[in-house]
Amino acid sequence: MIGDIMTSLWAILPVIVLALWACVLLLVDLWLPKDQQGSQQGESNSPITPLLAALGMLTSAAIVIARIGQPTMGFGGMMMADGFSHFICLLLLASGLVTIGLSHDYMKRLGIARGEYYVLLMFSLSGMMLMSMSADLIMVFLSLELLSIPLYVMAGIATPRPSSEEAALKYFLLGAFASGFLVYGIGLVFGATGSTSLQQIVAVVQSGNYNLALILGGAALIITGLGFKVAIVPFHMWTPDAYQGAPSAVTAFMSVGAKTAGFAALLRVFVLAFPAFSADITPVLWGLAALTMVLGNFAAIAQRNIKRLLAYSSIAHAGYIMMALVPYGQDGLSADSVASALFYLVAYAFTNFAAWAVVIALEQAGEKGLELQDYAGLGRKHPALAAVMAVAMLSFTGVPPTLGFVGKFYLFRTVLEGGHVGLALIGVLTSLVSAFYYLRVIVVMYMQEGEPEARREPWLQAMAYGSAIGVVALSIFSAPLLFLASQAVLKLF
Amino acid sequence: MITVSLIIFLIVAVITLGSALMVVTARNLVHAALWLVVALFGVAILFGLLQAGFLAVVQVVIYIGAIVILIIFAIMLTQRNALEIGSRFNENWGWALGISALVFAALVWAIVSWPGFHVQAQPLDARFDSVAELGKALVASNGYALPFELASVLLLAALIGAIVIAWERKPEER
Amino acid sequence: MIPLSFYLIFAAGLFSVGLFGVLARKNAIAILMGIELMLNAVNVNLVAFWRYRMPEMISGQVFAVIVFAVAAAEVAVGLALFISIYRRRGTIAADQIDLMKW
Repeated sequence: MIGDIMTSLWAILPVIVLALWACVLLLVDLWLPKDQQGSQQGESNSPITPLLAALGMLTSAAIVIARIGQPTMGFGGMMMADGFSHFICLLLLASGLVTIGLSHDYMKRLGIARGEYYVLLMFSLSGMMLMSMSADLIMVFLSLELLSIPLYVMAGIATPRPSSEEAALKYFLLGAFASGFLVYGIGLVFGATGSTSLQQIVAVVQSGNYNLALILGGAALIITGLGFKVAIVPFHMWTPDAYQGAPSAVTAFMSVGAKTAGFAALLRVFVLAFPAFSADITPVLWGLAALTMVLGNFAAIAQRNIKRLLAYSSIAHAGYIMMALVPYGQDGLSADSVASALFYLVAYAFTNFAAWAVVIALEQAGEKGLELQDYAGLGRKHPALAAVMAVAMLSFTGVPPTLGFVGKFYLFRTVLEGGHVGLALIGVLTSLVSAFYYLRVIVVMYMQEGEPEARREPWLQAMAYGSAIGVVALSIFSAPLLFLASQAVLKLF
Repeated sequence: MITVSLIIFLIVAVITLGSALMVVTARNLVHAALWLVVALFGVAILFGLLQAGFLAVVQVVIYIGAIVILIIFAIMLTQRNALEIGSRFNENWGWALGISALVFAALVWAIVSWPGFHVQAQPLDARFDSVAELGKALVASNGYALPFELASVLLLAALIGAIVIAWERKPEER
Repeated sequence: MIPLSFYLIFAAGLFSVGLFGVLARKNAIAILMGIELMLNAVNVNLVAFWRYRMPEMISGQVFAVIVFAVAAAEVAVGLALFISIYRRRGTIAADQIDLMKW
């Protein structure tokens, strides 16, 4: 009995450490010496808080790394700490660390540096990590809430700036709405199979004692609920406004973290529990992926604001990752499907952080410096930052030698193996369309004259260069990363 | 076969759905919140009919006693007069009606196509104490201890978040 | 006796009414009330499934309790957000909060 409990706790130890660390940090932050000027505005901008938060994430990451290769199951099969969740957790923790690096000076500069920000970041991160481990639909729902609620607040943390509040409001209303769909869908699956545990759902499905219509209805509602979180069309309408209005560092975290966790849950639930229904579900996923790629890319063309442009680009990339999910139920392909989705999530994370780091460096107080024209002349004035942005744009487009290219290569290969030639074709064509607006950013930076102002903040620059170098280096030495991703197969214990 | 419980169910269901409709259509938000109380109370009665007495109590105490009160507070704090100016619906309400009707039709179709459609409830074992079972399940490590604990973390995060958002920052205030 | 389907159809109706409220209303608090109706529909479903399909297992009720907690957390954050926005703008009509286009 006690041994049982220990194994269970051991399985989710990285999350326990992170959540407890967040609770302690909340108290510690109160006692830290405050910057005199900052505390006048009720801010707490001690540099120690972000350092401690980063230390917590590093501790959690160290535990995850120490556990690689030892899959554990806990809480009666509710949580699975397997290769898949280790991979996702490391990606999420790395994203959290990069976010701290992006936020530290940025939040001070905007006058919104607050210790609670890092606490909320850690809570959200715990929710995301739990989501990647959940093998029970109740846990999927709860961890989705734990990741979302701090994110709503973080999106609105730049109050009294109106656009930030507006972002928080729209994100909150649509997020709460989406979780209503998700939980109704889970309820239907529960009714159809008599359980919320993925293991037992599989057992019931194999015994044939279930109701198809209810399961399919439930699966459709689950796709809707999680689709809102990962921003696939037609559930994307909150994305541009939330991404534009939220503080840029939060947007960077939101786009990578929520997408990673949402796709982790989609992959685990569909690959493990619903492979038997792939004949019915695959066409739906096919349509959603195609629609998302087409709409995201075409809408991005019209954008002049760089944050909105990246928002639509994020929608489009949700479509590409969705492509990996399409052949999830075909024999022998589910491993490839998972591996290519994971690989693309890593590629997206690196590329996205590189792009957002440059956006943050150029952003001026009062939401200035965010138009495309503000990037004119960047290539001459700040060649290093312009190079980072150029690498990010090339990687988004999928041009070698970048991680985006390798990621798309594996994606298209998986889709073609599944026999979905039409979908792969749509993917290639929309990538060509996307080249238009991504390359336009490069053209503006290098071909047009202007006097852009960029911040020189050490952590921010470190994150920008680090991500850009990662995008190029990992694309050349992509074999180990792909090996790790292919080890992260989903299977039941 | 028409029994007392069926009659109670039908009456409560009609009242609940009717007041739910009033919640989403009432022009005055305070009225909407009061209709919400009626609807939630109807759901509590249904929990009672389903022999989930504890949940019925929780529904009244948490939902009506806490959540709706909070909503009414928010209405009082945010409406100079509770009447909405202009239309209470946005311009997409026609679409909204269509989508809701479609979702309803799809759900009913899924339910009706199910052979378990006419299932009747088996009487509960007299020794079955659902409150005790619920209590045990919420703390059993191979049961639902983790979701239970996680819910508390969630509430803590929500608490911190609400404070962070609603904290009015004035420069003259320290 | 009441067949299970009555409860399920009732819940589907409640869910759809809530859905209409979320999609059609302008005021943010009214939208939140619509979301509450949707969550209640979920709970009716869960408890009905528990009672009719697996009365010996308590998981349906546990799930309903979790939904309560989540609903409370969402309302707390949402209302704090609404009040904060109202202080600055004097409105929480979702369609008037449109500095940015939707």
